[in-house]
Amino acid sequence: MWFPSFKSLSIFLFILILISVTHGIAHASTVRFVDGEGETLAEVEFKLHQEIVYLPVETLKTAFDPEMTHEYHRPRKQLILKTKGKELRLRMGNTTVNIDSGKQTFTLPAPPLAIEGQPMLPIHFFRKILEHLDDVEVLYNPNLQRIRIIPKTAWALDISDDTREWTIIIDPGHGGEGDLGCKSQNGLLEKDIVLAAAKEIKKLSEQHQLSIHLTRDQDTEKTLIQRVQTANREQGRLFLSLHCNASFSPNHKGMRLYINNPNGQPRFRTSEMPRFGKKRLNILNQANYLKQSKNFANVLQKELNFLAENPIVITEFPIITLSDISMPAVLLELGYLSNIDDAKRLSNPDHISELAVAIIRAIQIYSASVNQPSKSNGFSERKPSDTN
Amino acid sequence: MNLLRKILHSRLFMVWGSTLVAIIICLAITLVLIAHSKRTRILDAPSKLPDTANPTDILPPPEQVNIFLLNPTSLEITPVQVELRLYSEPTERLKQIVSALVQETLPNYRNPIPRGTLLNEAYIDSQKTAYLDFSHHLADGHIGGTTAELLTVTAILKTVFDAFPNEIIHVQILIDGKEKKTLAGHLNLSQPLRF
Ligand SMILES: [Zn+2]
Repeated sequence: MWFPSFKSLSIFLFILILISVTHGIAHASTVRFVDGEGETLAEVEFKLHQEIVYLPVETLKTAFDPEMTHEYHRPRKQLILKTKGKELRLRMGNTTVNIDSGKQTFTLPAPPLAIEGQPMLPIHFFRKILEHLDDVEVLYNPNLQRIRIIPKTAWALDISDDTREWTIIIDPGHGGEGDLGCKSQNGLLEKDIVLAAAKEIKKLSEQHQLSIHLTRDQDTEKTLIQRVQTANREQGRLFLSLHCNASFSPNHKGMRLYINNPNGQPRFRTSEMPRFGKKRLNILNQANYLKQSKNFANVLQKELNFLAENPIVITEFPIITLSDISMPAVLLELGYLSNIDDAKRLSNPDHISELAVAIIRAIQIYSASVNQPSKSNGFSERKPSDTN
Repeated sequence: MNLLRKILHSRLFMVWGSTLVAIIICLAITLVLIAHSKRTRILDAPSKLPDTANPTDILPPPEQVNIFLLNPTSLEITPVQVELRLYSEPTERLKQIVSALVQETLPNYRNPIPRGTLLNEAYIDSQKTAYLDFSHHLADGHIGGTTAELLTVTAILKTVFDAFPNEIIHVQILIDGKEKKTLAGHLNLSQPLRF
């Protein structure tokens, strides 16, 4: 007969407590609405229907527009919303959203539903429709059930004419038949995901009057030198290389940011004297932008953290992709294709477009902060900083 | 039938059902932990010695050395003690240790060196830089990704610096005798590296 010892009993109790706690967290059934600073606007209990998050209509009042009114005709299953000077008509079980008697119509991926007699709106309504009712940007993190609503005007005004003319280089890594990058278990390829993300950023940039140039806009192989040449030819002022990550452990997950630093970890024997004569200048070029690259990485980190499960880490070491780039440059790993959850997220176009929104916003914030030393996060940009 | 459906969908059923599942998982984990703690790990046999390397043909005594592998739970490159019969001559010793790292397959660790990789040659110069020449598998067989690339290089560097704290300061990785700029397109290997 086996009797559990005191030690094994205490292990059992510890794990029991641990699981109960995590169990409680995992089942927290609320969506939190936050503003640009991360302050909570509202926390609303949701209902799940066929794995889709549904929120009560009143959520609009607490999180978006206190003046919002609504009428629900139960027999006709019709919902009329009045908000921000617009009238929206929806029908339970129907995916169409009709604004101002047909002036605008949208189709939601899931219909509004009457759950326990109450009209409920799918999460897609908040993600996609609010932006058409007011000048706001909406970002949704499905992992943490958080929605961020920020007025567009709050961050687009400060950009000077000088920075408005910047060309930003977006570099989708790898490409072509010879360089697939890493791949997921079910065959997703890094080169395809990063190209889709880059194209999404480019598409979105047009709405924000940003000039973005891609180092490749097709599935073609590009050498590092070709990428550098493109960045220089286009007179880029900011360089963002997009990649997907992989690890030997399936447990590694999340986004990562990297900047090129020959004195990082691991580090070069010497950053001052590379052994190949001509290369010396090139390496010093990116090293000279180290401070600005760090600033850009910090802004990206802050904006992308909203979409992350855990805070994003910035790592510094000698990175070949960025070493010859003579402008502030950052490498962003969008997630691990070796992790099942990350791979699933990266295959979702909604997630890619959320990433694009956050990246565009980071570019805008960084550009706006340059040459504005009076601001708390003002970065000086005109001249490359000294090495370290 | 309808009643059964209602019960199945009720919040009470969800909460108690999931709590029950949690308790069963707890019990299972506890049993596994207890069983695991009773087991002791027997290290793999030391790697085979080259026939001609030792002029006296006397087997050196076994030594404990650390090789660095990925712990898939902590996600850190961690030292694992192995027993090897090592020669005293530094270059031979370096070859033996790096070859042991390349070949190691321990059940609870992941080896971040791509399968099939071989150490062709090793050399330490007067500047205390070690040159490690690997077969093409180190680059061609690499899974890609910045983290994976960093893990591979970190495992090599940590293993070398741990075994040669004074004799080696930098490591230059070569592929089939040539300098290669990178393994998988991210980490810059064009110069000798250190921590
Ligand atoms: Zn990559």
